[in-house]
Amino acid sequence: MHILAASSFDTGLFFQQIENGITLGAIYALVALGYTMVYGIIELINFAHGDVFMWSTIVTLSVAQALHIDHVLGGFALVGTLLLLLIVGILTSGGLNVLIERVAYRPLRRAPRLIPLISAIGVSFILENVAQLWKTANVIAYPVFFPTNAITIGSLTITYLDIFIFVLAVALMVGLNVFTNRTKMGRAMRATAQDPEAAALMGVNINQTISLTFLIGGALAGAAGVVYSMYASSVYFLSGFQLGLIAFTAAVLGGIGNIQGAVLGGFLIGIIEALATQYVPNGLAWSQGVAFAILILILIFRPSGLLGQQVPDKV
Amino acid sequence: MSAPSRSKGGLPLFQPIRDGWNALVARLEKTQLLGRSLLWYITGWRLGIIALILAVIYPQMFDDSYVLAGCIIAIYVLLALGLNIVVGYAGLLDLGYVAFFVIGNYTYAALSRGYLVNSAKQVVPVPVLSFWWLLPLGALFAGIAGVLLGAPTLRLRGDYLAIVTLGFGELSRIFVLNVPYFGAANGLNAPPAPTVHTPLGDVDFGNFIDHTNFYYLTLALVVIVTLLVNLLRNSSLGRAWVAMREDETAAAAAGVNLVRTKLLAFATGAAIGGIGGILNVALVPSITPDQFTFNISISILVMIVLGGIGSIPGVIVGAIVLKLFDQILLNNLNDYVHGSPLVSNPGAPLHFLAGNDFNQEKFLLYGLVLLGMILLRPQGIIPDRRRQREIKEASSVESASAVGVLAIEESGDTLAGLGSAPDVTEYVGPGSDAQGREG
Repeated sequence: MHILAASSFDTGLFFQQIENGITLGAIYALVALGYTMVYGIIELINFAHGDVFMWSTIVTLSVAQALHIDHVLGGFALVGTLLLLLIVGILTSGGLNVLIERVAYRPLRRAPRLIPLISAIGVSFILENVAQLWKTANVIAYPVFFPTNAITIGSLTITYLDIFIFVLAVALMVGLNVFTNRTKMGRAMRATAQDPEAAALMGVNINQTISLTFLIGGALAGAAGVVYSMYASSVYFLSGFQLGLIAFTAAVLGGIGNIQGAVLGGFLIGIIEALATQYVPNGLAWSQGVAFAILILILIFRPSGLLGQQVPDKV
Repeated sequence: MSAPSRSKGGLPLFQPIRDGWNALVARLEKTQLLGRSLLWYITGWRLGIIALILAVIYPQMFDDSYVLAGCIIAIYVLLALGLNIVVGYAGLLDLGYVAFFVIGNYTYAALSRGYLVNSAKQVVPVPVLSFWWLLPLGALFAGIAGVLLGAPTLRLRGDYLAIVTLGFGELSRIFVLNVPYFGAANGLNAPPAPTVHTPLGDVDFGNFIDHTNFYYLTLALVVIVTLLVNLLRNSSLGRAWVAMREDETAAAAAGVNLVRTKLLAFATGAAIGGIGGILNVALVPSITPDQFTFNISISILVMIVLGGIGSIPGVIVGAIVLKLFDQILLNNLNDYVHGSPLVSNPGAPLHFLAGNDFNQEKFLLYGLVLLGMILLRPQGIIPDRRRQREIKEASSVESASAVGVLAIEESGDTLAGLGSAPDVTEYVGPGSDAQGREG
């Protein structure tokens, strides 16, 4: 396929890959937001975040199996199923993330930065392997219940699912933006991220704010998990590891700790991957490598990510 | 709300274990032998001697599967010592250390067999080098790669560096997976370590039934590398690494050449990783890219943090404990569980476990142990003195106010604690050229 692309540039194919990249990027961005929010508030790389995402996929799979969904739904059945899965996914991942913070990170909050990283890795192992015990080590097919129709514009095909993923992601991002910038709790979150001790002196409940951050980060990953299993039509106990790695890369690319940066990074990495799959020889195998290579290049020129602040050195 | 008597930041669940440990240490300290406390005999350089004696007699006491596990443990001790230079001394968080391990492995595999196969499945002749030449050559290649990784990342700090190194580690795996010369997904076979002809007889390092000779070879390398790392740590370069870790800007102002110091940290750490790689492929003479995942980088990082980051005995103990746990306990979990009288006898309380396959649970156990150990002893098994002081410094702020971070939101007591920071000047290492961080 790439040989064909190399000989004559196909605009339709190019835009199709951009469209694929945007859908994938929307999912990456949702997961990246969880990384960046947690990092922004307690400077921790939450290594278990990818697995929190994966838990949403396996729990919603169980719900879908319990409901015996095995055919394409429409109308109220579809809306109801989507709502139910989203609520289950969001509660699973959000709750799990809060629990993890309480058990594994809070006791180590004052320790040097590498130490909570290790407990995060431990939690990640636990989450992956409990999932494996429950769902076996196989890739499990996820029932297709979303209409598979698509809109065609010229040679460009946009499926209804792609549109749903994009709209859902944008709605959640806008909601998050309003929450962090317009509400009291959002202000407490930003204050804690800036200076926890000063925020505490101003009457912000630090523990509650940090828990809330984990809840929101987890909830976004949960929503991403619901749509990802519909998009990939499969569920796998290690899916969170790989996707988490990419989402973390996206968060760093945008400037870790920066919410807009995570969204930008997510979409960029999604598009880069999709284009690499198409245009790099043997692209599927190299696509992730290309994403990392571009990340390294960007960080060489912008060491704090695309939207990260250049913080002057303090002595 | 935590009571003042409780250990800082600990979960109450672990308090009995903590108390037991403290009681044991106190007893060891009290018991006298030849005018010294028992504790004296098992700390400092004396611990090293004991460990070395145990390591030397180890293969004589166990069968070959344990000796093979010993070889793997020794290789991981090397890797942990190498990564400790980068992360522990220089303070550069490297999440892609596996890259240097890959370079060592593929250097040996590619240059020891005389041919490679290209994408058209044609055999391409390649010069053959002996194991003894490849050992330094692997270190050299990995060291060069370390500089190549370090050079563009000089400006990156903390977690940005972490993600770039992570990317580098993943790229190394994707590279060998996609380059036909390296056998792609099938990997490469390599000849085992060679036989050496000595006047006293032949010493076969590549014997697959008896790994004793190879074990002693790796042990010798571990000893040499440990001594070298110790020398480096106390050299001006080692002090420059620590100074850079504590405060890059202050170190530069005090005359530390940051570029040179960082690159040397990457190169030295990488070279040791390369040696580990050469030993690995000589031991298990077939490698595939899927062995070199992010998990290897992570497990080595876990070893050094759990052992006591920056502390040579700590790092060695961390690597031994985790690899023992992984190689011996977890790999034989089925045998141990099914062989236990509590399980095997019909009617025994745990007999219902007899039919279970526990191989699936091993990583779950690994995760639980990891989490438990880090919560129980966040400073590591044998902490570095300087590092320990930093942890104390950070937590003295909270213990002075007796209630920890929970108190901040409810009272202004912490301000009183901020003033005290008691043991900042308690220990300043010999010739250390960096002041401790301000409290």
